[in-house]
Amino acid sequence: MRFFLDGLAEAWRIIVGGEPWLWQLVGVTLQVALISTAVALVLGLPVALLLGLGRFRGRGVLMTLANAGLGLPPVLVGLVLALLMFPAAPLGRFQLLFTLKGVLIAQTLLALPVIVALGAAALREVPAGLLDQARALHAGRWQVGRLAVREARTGLLAAIIAAVGSGLSEVGAVVLVGGNIEGVDQTLASAALQRVEAARFSEGLAIGIVLLGLILVITALLTLVQSGRALRRVGTSS
Amino acid sequence: MSADITPAPPGAPAGLTALRLDALTVRRGRRPVVLDVDLTLAAGETVALIGPNGAGKSTLLQAASGLLPAHRGRVTATGRTATVLQDVRLARRSVRANVELALAWWGVPRRERRRRVEDTLELLGVAHLARRPAGALSGGEARRVHLARGLAVRPDVLLLDEPFAGLDPQAHERLVLDLGPALAASGAAVLVVLHERRDAWALADRVAVLLEGRLAALDAPERLLAAPPSAAVARFLGYESELRLPDGSRLVRDVDVVLDPAGPLGGRVIRTLRREHDVRLHVATDAGTVWVAAPLAPPTPEVRLRVVGGFPVDAADPDLA
Repeated sequence: MRFFLDGLAEAWRIIVGGEPWLWQLVGVTLQVALISTAVALVLGLPVALLLGLGRFRGRGVLMTLANAGLGLPPVLVGLVLALLMFPAAPLGRFQLLFTLKGVLIAQTLLALPVIVALGAAALREVPAGLLDQARALHAGRWQVGRLAVREARTGLLAAIIAAVGSGLSEVGAVVLVGGNIEGVDQTLASAALQRVEAARFSEGLAIGIVLLGLILVITALLTLVQSGRALRRVGTSS
Repeated sequence: MSADITPAPPGAPAGLTALRLDALTVRRGRRPVVLDVDLTLAAGETVALIGPNGAGKSTLLQAASGLLPAHRGRVTATGRTATVLQDVRLARRSVRANVELALAWWGVPRRERRRRVEDTLELLGVAHLARRPAGALSGGEARRVHLARGLAVRPDVLLLDEPFAGLDPQAHERLVLDLGPALAASGAAVLVVLHERRDAWALADRVAVLLEGRLAALDAPERLLAAPPSAAVARFLGYESELRLPDGSRLVRDVDVVLDPAGPLGGRVIRTLRREHDVRLHVATDAGTVWVAAPLAPPTPEVRLRVVGGFPVDAADPDLA
C-alpha cells in the first residue's frame, strides 16, 4: 500500500514540478501513438473498405487474417522486426534499429490489423441498401467509399481509439526495436518498465499514473468525437 | 406474350423515346426471371409495372437501371437514368443533407443544390423537415425524402421500385396524391413498379402487367381493365370468379354481379365478409361460386343474381387451362 501512496506522491511531485524528462516521455509517447495510428489509418482504411464493402473470392480468408492480426503478440513483432533491422539483415541499411523511426514502424504494424479488422467490421454494418441507392444515383466508387466511411464513423472511431490505446501502452515491440533509450525512443510505458527493473518502484508507478491520465484524456477526446458532440460543435454534422 | 414496341400515349411528345427495352432477358443465377420483354417509354409518360409477387418486376427495373446485367436483349435510355430503390435507407444526416448528397453524386454544381433541394422537398410536402435528422423521421416521411432524392436530380428517366411499400393506408394514400403531380412536373419518363393495382390506375398513363417474367399486357389503365388481353391478365386484374353461363364462361369481378330478386341466377351465400362501406358475399351458384359486393348482407342466404359485366373466356384461350 505504501508503494501506491509513494507513487501517487511522486507522480504529483513530478507533474507539478514540470520535470523536463517527463514531458519528453509524454512527447515521444504521443508521437508513437498518434503517428503510428495515422499511418495505419492511411494504409489500413482502403484495405478495410475493400474487405468491408467488396464482394470477391478470398475475402473471407483475408478477413480471417486481419482478425488474427488482432492477436499478434507485440513481442514477436518486435523480435522479428529487430532481427530484420540488424545491420546485416534486409532492413539493416535503413539504420532503423534503436531509433524512433524503428519504433514507429513497429507500432504501425501493430496498429494496422486493428484498423483493418475493426474498420472492416464497422463498414460491413453500413446498410447495403444505402450504398446501392448511392450507386443507383450515379455515385462513383470514391463517393460510395466516403459515404460508407461517414456512416461507419462510430465503429471506425472505435478502431482508432483501440489503435491509439495500443500505441500509448505498447512495451514489448517498443523495447525490442527501440532499445528503450531515454531521450530517444523511450515512451511512458517503456520508461515505467525500466524504472521497475531498476527497483525505482515509486517512480515507475508515478509514470504509470501519468500514462493512465494521458490514456484517459485522449480516449475521452476521441469518445467525444465518436459521440458526435465535438463534430456538432464545429458545425459539420449536417 | 411479349409486347411490341408501343407508340407514345396520347399527350406524350411523339417520337421522343426516353427508355427502350428490346427483347430483354435477365437471369438471377441460372434462373431466367425476366423473359424477352419489349417496352418503350416516351418522355414525360408514366408506365406502371404490376404483377404478382415473384413476377420479376424489381428485377426488370434493376436491369433497366443498369444495376443488373441483361442476359440477352438491350436497354437504351436517352439521357440519364435515376433509380429509387424499394429499400428506404437514408444517411445519418439531416433531410436536406441527404438530398444534397444525392445531387452531389449526380454531379449537380454546389451553388444549385440548395434551391433544388428546397423545391423538391416542397413538392413532396416535407420542406418543414429539412433540418430534421433522417433518423427522426416516420416511415412515411422517410419514404418521401427517399423519393425526393430521385426527383431532385431531375433525371430523363426515373425508375421507382414500389414507392409505397411499407406505408400505412393513410400515409400511402397521401403519398399517392402528392407523387402524381410531382412525377408529372418532373417531365421524366417514369417506370414505376407497384404492388397495389389501384396505385397504377392513380399514377400511370399506361400499365404493364408482368406475369412469370413475361410482359403479358401493356395498355392504358381503363382499356386494360375493360378488355384484358388474356384470362391470366384478367384474373390478375381482379376477375377472380368464373361463371359457366349458358352463353359461355365468363370471368367476373365482384362489381360485375349484382343482387337482383328478379335475376336469372339463383345461389346461396356461403360466406360474408363485412367491409367498411359494404359487404362481400361469396355465393355458390350452379354456374360456379362468385364474389358479389352489396351494400348490406341479405336477410336470407338464398339470393338471386344478375351478371352485368365480366370478361368472356375464349375456350381457345390457353390461359384457361
